[in-house]
Amino acid sequence: MMFTLLIQLPARPARAQTPSDTFSIGWDSSPIDQINPMLTDLYDGGAWVISHIIYDKLVQTDSYGNIVPDLADNWTWADPQTVTFNLAHNATWHDGVPFTANDAVFTIEHVTANQAIYPHMGQYVQNIASAQALDNYTLQIKLKSADATFFSAALLQLVIIPQHIWANFAGNYSTFTNNPPIGTGPFKFVSWEANSYVQLDANPNYFRGAPHFQHLIVRYYNSVNAMVLALQSGEIDLTSPLLPPTVVPSLTSNPSIQVFTRPDLRYFYLTFNQFPNGTGNPTLRDLQVRIALAHGINKQELAQRVWLGFADVLNTVVPTSLGSWHNPNTPDYAFDLNMSAKILDDAGYKVGSDGIRASPTGVKMIYNIDVPSDYSEEYRAAQLIAGWWSQIGVKATPRLMDSSSLGSEEAGWKHDMVLWTWSADFLDPAYFLSMFTTSQDTCVPGCLGDSGWSNSTYDQLFTQQSQETDPAKRQQIIYELQDILAAHVAYVPLYDNAAINGFRSDRFTGIPAGVIPPFFYFGENSLLLNVRPIGMATETTAMSTETTASASGAGVDMTSLASIAVVIVVVLLVAGIFYSKRKKTSKS
Amino acid sequence: MGIGYAINKLAQTIATIFFVLTFNFFLFRILPGDPFSLLFRGPGFSRTLVNTLNSQFGLDQPLWLQYVKYLQNTLVGNFGISYTYRASVISILLPRLTNTVILLLTATVISIVVGIAMGLVSAWHRGGKVDIAFSTSTLLLYSMPTFWLGLILLFVGVIYFGLPVSGMKSLSGEVTNPFALASMVDLLRHMVLPCLTLVLGLTGEYVLVMKGALLDVFTEDYMLTAKAKGISNAKLLRDHALRNAALPMTTLIAINLGLAVGGAIQTETIFTWPGIGLLTYQALLTRDYPVLQGCFLVLAIAVILMNFLADLLYGYLDPRIRTG
Repeated sequence: MMFTLLIQLPARPARAQTPSDTFSIGWDSSPIDQINPMLTDLYDGGAWVISHIIYDKLVQTDSYGNIVPDLADNWTWADPQTVTFNLAHNATWHDGVPFTANDAVFTIEHVTANQAIYPHMGQYVQNIASAQALDNYTLQIKLKSADATFFSAALLQLVIIPQHIWANFAGNYSTFTNNPPIGTGPFKFVSWEANSYVQLDANPNYFRGAPHFQHLIVRYYNSVNAMVLALQSGEIDLTSPLLPPTVVPSLTSNPSIQVFTRPDLRYFYLTFNQFPNGTGNPTLRDLQVRIALAHGINKQELAQRVWLGFADVLNTVVPTSLGSWHNPNTPDYAFDLNMSAKILDDAGYKVGSDGIRASPTGVKMIYNIDVPSDYSEEYRAAQLIAGWWSQIGVKATPRLMDSSSLGSEEAGWKHDMVLWTWSADFLDPAYFLSMFTTSQDTCVPGCLGDSGWSNSTYDQLFTQQSQETDPAKRQQIIYELQDILAAHVAYVPLYDNAAINGFRSDRFTGIPAGVIPPFFYFGENSLLLNVRPIGMATETTAMSTETTASASGAGVDMTSLASIAVVIVVVLLVAGIFYSKRKKTSKS
Repeated sequence: MGIGYAINKLAQTIATIFFVLTFNFFLFRILPGDPFSLLFRGPGFSRTLVNTLNSQFGLDQPLWLQYVKYLQNTLVGNFGISYTYRASVISILLPRLTNTVILLLTATVISIVVGIAMGLVSAWHRGGKVDIAFSTSTLLLYSMPTFWLGLILLFVGVIYFGLPVSGMKSLSGEVTNPFALASMVDLLRHMVLPCLTLVLGLTGEYVLVMKGALLDVFTEDYMLTAKAKGISNAKLLRDHALRNAALPMTTLIAINLGLAVGGAIQTETIFTWPGIGLLTYQALLTRDYPVLQGCFLVLAIAVILMNFLADLLYGYLDPRIRTG
């Protein structure tokens, strides 16, 4: 608590800066542990993000989530399983060798051959039957079966690697350090230290236009407090997009800093373990119980209290950031504790003598709500939910766990309820819906899904949408899938948060408009290619910043001051007592 | 202090290391969770691939077999490959260890020097204002939570003194020579805050132990005798008091230097100092067993080694032990 209080202290303005040709980004989530894009395990790890700056893909997204050309200029579908790409003629590798279709073919064949050791990349070539270079700049890919998500899932992940380097490596690919990584991307690798930083230089020959600054640095911070401070002191120019809402006031009060938000590609949910072969509380397998519990959650208040308004209430498992895939009309379970109580009473879950409801067979409605320890806001949410439910005779206990233990518990189907989050790295709803299919939700040990719910109609519809290439028809099915999940309360979706970013608007300009959190997700690079340093104007801006900020600096947060004053008083008191006691004893 | 004594100590050392190896091996595997099942939280994962990863790293074999392999490998100096970094554990450990030693050694040495000096003054002027001021302030700082103290220093240092926020060096996008004067100055600037945090927290220990040891010595008869013989205060202090107070201080210093290798996790976290403490913590979160085992082994060896040296030093400092 003390730390967040202290963050409220408005910072002194940064010192006057000369126009900067170095853009620094702070990173505080998963580690930067690899510069080999094929070996990254974590799909959203720092390593993954860095590789999407150094390497290019066949296609990429713009800041609105539309698929746009990258190494491929355009493409045509001959049939639902055959697509031909016309590739850029002027792309070059960072060592000067020209890029050709053979590199793309090599990449696909190399990943296919090494699927066993490329856990992440291997998945994305699963559906590719063959890849062929029709000539130096024409690539033809044949799929095994029609797939509506081939572009938005597979191609957005598959970075293209240089054949002339990777083919010549004779050692074991599972420990290939790939130093230096050579790509075609807008930035060239300079140096790195694992989990500390990566230094990159702008690629002046980048085929889609060189970046507007010289050097790019990505620095890792182990605590978000340090990262925010680094932004305020000018050590970085952009933070990673998951700032907690509590830091926003201190950042917005600083005129050098601009805070902007985008809809995050993630949502938070409460899952009920309904797996018949699991050891979760069996009352959760009763649909009436789940409906009643859903009515006992005040999502508006959660979004307000836990995310300070930086979150939208969600009634479906597809977050609002996915645009038209998000079904705005899924049935909502309004917060109504009286209705919850009535549903439970009617279903035979009467309140016992200890104040806790029990099923007709005597199973009490006592649950654990497990929360991963890296999401401290969500623990608060779990406490609030437990509070509401306690009013209707349901006893829920929030428990914090580290995510590895929690993952293991879910894999064993031992949980009652878990409050967790899903985030996707492609703008397609299939991922968010896939975890409710029977094949993903009833594995032993558990795989993707953690609700244990299963429904054959859902499975059929899911398969249908994955092969449906007409977007309007696919959207229909996607909406229907969301409705089914809501009707069966497989999950209680809670809210989707805003991705909050901090940016040094006194040193750089050019944040593009858009709906995707910049830089962080699937190598969406429009921010890095658009920002440019503010020129000589920086000198005068900084000086006027100094004067205005020092005037506003007088408004120090009273709570912080008060708490510091209390500490000082206590210290003085203790010292005084000590001193007087010593005086007494030494006199005797 | 014959050869027999040294061999005895060596045998004990080896036995302790072996015990630590075994204990750590099983401890990490008893922890719930495993390195790869958390990968399910990302798109594109399947049970088959987790199985493949497990067999690639030998995690699907019976536990006793894994243990035997681990012992065999460790004996020849092969600490394995990290699951997350996909590089040899040694190549990851050594630079981080160096970073920690740079920071902690400096902080420990400063703490010891300052602590001894303050302890001396406190003991000499026992009951006086200086004694109370020193004792109270160091006790207070010693009992403060490191995380809180570090954060406060971070805020004050960055905002009011313009010190760097994190890491070991400034990154300007240019490649720099790490041994140039400018780089050295840069390193010192980065060290100020974490070092200060550590020194403020560690000094209290040395002050109290030094003061206590000295006070014990002051009450001994031989001190009174020496004073009666007319020996000056300075000589009294140096030749008689300090010599004897050195014994408990040696133990404390040896233990702390050994533990310093474990890294100061809290300080390294706040200041993102790329040390071995932080490495251990991150490896724990991702259940990176080879790195964890490597870190704990390094820590164990450091502590055991320092204790061994302390034993030998004791024998030198205290003649009574030599003949024992």
